Amino acid sequence: MIEEQDFWNSREITQNKTCRIERKVSQNCEEFLHGLLRPHASMTLPPLSNLLAREHCQNAIDHATHYLPAQGPIDVFIHHNTLHAFEEEPFEEALIHASHIFGTEPFLTETRYREELAQGRIRSEDVDAVLDAESLVQGDQQLAGGRITRKSLQRAILFHAIRQEDDTAVRWTLTESNVVECLRTDLDPSVRRQLLNEDAIAFANVDDRDSTFFGNEDDAVRRETFARGSFHKQFASERRVASELWHACVEAVALTRPSIVHVRPPVRHRDLIKAIEPSLDLDAFVNPLLIRWSAAFLDQGIAAWPMPGRERGLFEAVSKIYSGKNGPLEPWNIALPDALQAAQGMDPIDVIVAELERLGIPQPQWQVFIRQSLLSLRGWAGMIYQIEQRPDRVPVVAVPARLADFLALRLMCDRVAVEWAAQRLWRGVFDKTKKISGLWIELQDRYPPRRGPGGLSRAFLLHQISQVVGLTARNIRALDENELIRLESAIAEFNGVARRRIFHLAFERHHRIQILDALASQVRVTQAPVGVRPQAQAIFCIDERCESFRRHFEELGSSFETFGTAGFFAVAMYYRGIDDWHTSPLCPIVIRPKHTVLEVPETHAEHEHRTRQAWRRRYGTIMGTMSNSSRTLVRGGLFTALAGAIAAVPLVARVVFPRFTARLGATAAAISRKRVPTRLLLEKRNPHLLPDGTHPGFDVNEMTAIVRRVLEDIGLTKRFARLVAVLGHGSASLNNPHESAYDCGACGGGRGGPNARAFATMANDPRIRRSLADEGLLIPEDTQFIGGMLDTCCDEVRWFDAERMPASHASEFADLEAMVRGVSISNAHERCRRFETAPLDITPLEAHRHVEARAGDLAQVRPELGHATNAVCIIGRRWRSRGLFLDRRAFLVSYDSSIDIENDILTRTLAAVAPVGVGINLEYFFSVVDSIGYGCGTKLPHNITGLLGVMDGHASDLRTGLPWQMVEIHEPVRLLVVIESTPERILCAVEKTPMVKRLALNEWMQVVAWDPDTGALSVFEHGKFIPYLPESINISVVDRSISWYAGHREHLSPARVLAAMENLPAARDLPS
Amino acid sequence: MSMQDGIYYLVVCQLAAPAMTFALIGLPALLGRPLSEQATTRVVGAGFTSGFMAALATLVTLGLQGFPSQVVHLGTWFSVGHHAATIDLVADGLSVPYVCFSTGLCALVNAFAGKYLHREPGFTRFFLLLTLFGTGMNLMVLAGSIDVLFAGWEFLGLSSALLIGFFHERSNAVNASLRAYTTYRICDIGLLTAGVVVHAAVGSGDFGKLFSGTWPNAHCLVSTNVAVGVSILLVFAAMGKSAQVPFSGWLARAMEGPTPSSAIFYGALSIHAGAYVLLRCESLLDQAPAVQWAMVVIGSVTALHASVVGRVQTDLKSMLAYASMMQSGIIFVEIGLGWRVIPLVHVVSHAILRSLQILRSPSALHDRHELEAALGGHPGSEAWSPRHLLSERSQVWLYRLALERGYQDVSMVRLIVLPVRRLFEFAARGEERLIMWLGRDPTDSSRGGPK
Repeated sequence: MIEEQDFWNSREITQNKTCRIERKVSQNCEEFLHGLLRPHASMTLPPLSNLLAREHCQNAIDHATHYLPAQGPIDVFIHHNTLHAFEEEPFEEALIHASHIFGTEPFLTETRYREELAQGRIRSEDVDAVLDAESLVQGDQQLAGGRITRKSLQRAILFHAIRQEDDTAVRWTLTESNVVECLRTDLDPSVRRQLLNEDAIAFANVDDRDSTFFGNEDDAVRRETFARGSFHKQFASERRVASELWHACVEAVALTRPSIVHVRPPVRHRDLIKAIEPSLDLDAFVNPLLIRWSAAFLDQGIAAWPMPGRERGLFEAVSKIYSGKNGPLEPWNIALPDALQAAQGMDPIDVIVAELERLGIPQPQWQVFIRQSLLSLRGWAGMIYQIEQRPDRVPVVAVPARLADFLALRLMCDRVAVEWAAQRLWRGVFDKTKKISGLWIELQDRYPPRRGPGGLSRAFLLHQISQVVGLTARNIRALDENELIRLESAIAEFNGVARRRIFHLAFERHHRIQILDALASQVRVTQAPVGVRPQAQAIFCIDERCESFRRHFEELGSSFETFGTAGFFAVAMYYRGIDDWHTSPLCPIVIRPKHTVLEVPETHAEHEHRTRQAWRRRYGTIMGTMSNSSRTLVRGGLFTALAGAIAAVPLVARVVFPRFTARLGATAAAISRKRVPTRLLLEKRNPHLLPDGTHPGFDVNEMTAIVRRVLEDIGLTKRFARLVAVLGHGSASLNNPHESAYDCGACGGGRGGPNARAFATMANDPRIRRSLADEGLLIPEDTQFIGGMLDTCCDEVRWFDAERMPASHASEFADLEAMVRGVSISNAHERCRRFETAPLDITPLEAHRHVEARAGDLAQVRPELGHATNAVCIIGRRWRSRGLFLDRRAFLVSYDSSIDIENDILTRTLAAVAPVGVGINLEYFFSVVDSIGYGCGTKLPHNITGLLGVMDGHASDLRTGLPWQMVEIHEPVRLLVVIESTPERILCAVEKTPMVKRLALNEWMQVVAWDPDTGALSVFEHGKFIPYLPESINISVVDRSISWYAGHREHLSPARVLAAMENLPAARDLPS
Repeated sequence: MSMQDGIYYLVVCQLAAPAMTFALIGLPALLGRPLSEQATTRVVGAGFTSGFMAALATLVTLGLQGFPSQVVHLGTWFSVGHHAATIDLVADGLSVPYVCFSTGLCALVNAFAGKYLHREPGFTRFFLLLTLFGTGMNLMVLAGSIDVLFAGWEFLGLSSALLIGFFHERSNAVNASLRAYTTYRICDIGLLTAGVVVHAAVGSGDFGKLFSGTWPNAHCLVSTNVAVGVSILLVFAAMGKSAQVPFSGWLARAMEGPTPSSAIFYGALSIHAGAYVLLRCESLLDQAPAVQWAMVVIGSVTALHASVVGRVQTDLKSMLAYASMMQSGIIFVEIGLGWRVIPLVHVVSHAILRSLQILRSPSALHDRHELEAALGGHPGSEAWSPRHLLSERSQVWLYRLALERGYQDVSMVRLIVLPVRRLFEFAARGEERLIMWLGRDPTDSSRGGPK
């Protein structure tokens, strides 16, 4: 606690300073007001026009909203760039900037990069290349009298794990080990020789020197170690060299002054007080209350009793409930009811302004102060803001959420808590009547400066670094003061973040080179398919999880072709299935659908449908009543006592026989579904708009445009097979609040089956075929489209409208169905290599059973691995990348630049694909870089709150981002977008969409041009395309995927899979 | 006497199986070479399953004979004159079914947690604590003397608290763990004192000297005064573990650990430990009608409290915690009413149902969507509840009370924590001055004595 006298002393000083600052503030205000206000003579802040203060405050809030997480209610999970607010800045700068604001990590840890270095995921060539590129930009610098360069210094530091410790730790190290008497064991042999050579010159006669050697009084430790008796002779020289170097370093750092790092004090009182009194964390008092309020206010139906008065907004509801004096309060918030009482009826913005003034925050600081105050509970603040912006996305109750309400309460509680803390910490100075408006500046002044490393610490660092760069004691002693300062500052500049940045760039480079070399090697061996009509074609989503599925499909033979396009197949619609009770949008989040499509039972099955619905309703009522009654007093008591034991059946079944139970449920559902055949109400038969303003279906022109657009996008305009499968995807799993994050991103976190079904129905429609033919796109009459949905969790394909398949195609479809089943099994087998609980020698059939069990297992926290490991996006003709094993890491977008005369297909493809792909990629990137700060940590303690999101345990901030279990195997690298087009055309397409331009120019994705004719690659760097020279175009060649991945769990480099390229008999050793 | 021998081995096996498991996974971990995940789950699974089988065999054997009370004497800790602390276990109509159920549930949770905690850094620690819990549970349930019961009770408390603080890198979890442990320890005073009283009264901790006959029709052997005293102390002890008002604040906070531990501890077993102890000593309670009435009151207040507070909880685990608390209050009432079999059935039923609910809680969104699809709409909020009888003002008052969880935390801080801390601070200052005075320089007369 601060002594009272001290306080007054410092207060006098600060009062002067306060005046100074306030004068400055008032000057700012004057400028701000453009002379509206007369200069004020008094010492206090001029009373600003309330209107302007409000405006300023509103602007500050608007500014702060960019920094809040953009994740909405969790039942529709949309991947987005976690740092979307920073997209205007270049990627690397943005990461470091954001890490300061959020208190997060910008890159992986140095240890992790070193592990990658050891495992070969980063090579030394990569580090060298990155350092070369850096020194090209910044220029290199001679250090230590020209003996080393900055680049060589940095290189040496990167390749040797240098311990950087504070004085205390170094002192401990010196006492407990003889580390300053040995050379490092990881030195290059040449450097080691260089250091040892010194021994011969400088230490011709050690014994003579010994007496003077120990003159230095501050080094008792060394004296002691030297006195420990004789060392083996061959170590004596090393010992002398190391010790002498240590002395040289100690002497060197004594020449220069230790640095004091001036850090800007934090703006929030909580942080300022915590710096003085570490045991007092005001947020620990305030946050639980705010969490309770926000959760109660936003709740979508978990609580049986909703917050009274919440229809009038959070602030009003809370002031109504808490302004009365009915109930004991915690010591810190005794003043809260009065504060709420006083603010009753006020506009929240006015409350915020008043609280800011009471807290004594100068107006120029409002923006930062408000931002940091909101970031303290960013999850809840973000959710309130999301619901304020998109009340239509709320699952059940659209409560009138306003961020200003939340902020007003936050600041009011903060102020009350600060007043309480001030009274407690500086008793006598602050009492109940004393205002705390001067406290802020006072605390800012008191904020302790961060001292730079002390002498010992610097000497120790210098000692290690001199060794790794080969500087001897003599070299160090030869340096003058300026040289030393330059050397030390070069070392200090290359701090942890700078090192991790270089490592990260090297990490990305290695990955990039692997992929680009593989692509370059493809150029010689691939050729466009010609002539023979393919046996079957399949259109998939671009999702990287479909990569392996497509590859296995292609391994059936060269007459099987695949395409990739955004998984909503250009059918943007609100959709309601027969089992759904409301429509949901199935299209990318940026599109608001204009059409609604319903699934209805076939006319002959309507009766069945009604019976089924009735049964379902009965079942729902029973289940709902059961889960509710177990929580009520009278019914619950009786119910639990009498019937609770029945729960033993599902409990044992679910835990002991998860797959059996899940399959039982799925089979029952499938049987019940099969009884009611359905169709889509796809075509608009009614010109009137629906109540929500959408059209009830599409007209023929619209459908033609959709089919045409997709077929053109993917370049499927000729050589149609007799069967074309269109496969959307989704994922169903239990025990997974983030279930929606595994669904199709192009369907806005929904399942793309209905889109595929709609597209296939459209493409089969003879009228649409005719209009397409009129426009020059001829689909042969005997070509049949069939829609389906791939469940990426249990690897199962469900077909739609198979019963409508004409008899002429029935047997071919049956073959296709069987083949796809086989492909599902192979795909499951490839996926299983990533699951530690699946043995490496698992057979394909067991693997399929394994993934089925995962999907239905209540205990499984990793039902599937989602988009983890995604890293590449290839936009181009499939035949050019076909046959490459891309390890489920690549988004594959079909695009044919030869038919894209106007370049508009590329423009729209990029506009659709880049935000989705980069959003997914960066969300994984940040969630793995800082699992706690950007992700939502481990899933195990997650607790679903208000049906909106998850908390850790019983009361925490709402956790946004992805859980650790989802991202743990992810390698955080920026998406490598390879576009099969010329650099000029790519630049032209990028320019046209602002968002894509931002992502590309600021390098939030790495863009590569792949020339459609020559196959030359060029990488987009610093605003221009630079030709890429492959390091090696030798690539491993295997006959089938399985021979490449079998027995491996780790990331695999690309390989050429012959089966997918050559014309092999279709049925060759397909798993049965 | 082969029958007796058989029971002896079976009962020992029920206890030894989880204890051996604890050693089997604990020792390698202690030596720095923890077992693999798969081996750990298998060992623990084998331990609990064999314990369960042994319990099942005992159940059948005893059940065929109409559940006589079988005492298994393991040894004597110490004896002084007439006074002895024996290590006895008892197998009867209460303990054997209960061991069956608790070991079975532990085995299930083990199977669940093996997958749930896959690749978690604290994997081995979790299973160590789970087996410690299982051992403690069986020790407590099978206890034939109050000393053994206390030992089991303490293992239970310790493992519970450590599992609440499983994610010890988060301060919330550690705080919650500490709060639960403090509550436990305060209420442990009851059980410990009860032990002392029993020893003083009958010269041994043996239940056989307190009551005789077969459960649930045992009759009390000690004087009414002792019975009342012990009953009061046992009820006090049970209140903490069973989260009865005013010791219920810790329960909702306890949902900080991994889901399976929340399920087994706060949904199923730990929360019913108090009820079990009271059922075990039912014949003493019969002698103390006033205590029984107090239990009815405490149980009703708890149930009412939990019902009101539970209604406003917005996260699943807190809601389930209050639902558990409510049932535990009702069970208290049932025991207070002098019922025996009903509360036992209620405990088992409730534990199974609640475990399933907590284990399913991460799937709540999935389940909710299915339910909505089946119902064709949102499951409507309740149309009417007794709160609608109140005026709007009173509703707001009650809502705040519920949101503040009955003001339990605040009252605890203001009525107990702060005064106790002030007392300690006062004592510390006094001690400091005393030492200063004692250590004063005798020649220096300028300083006075202790003030």
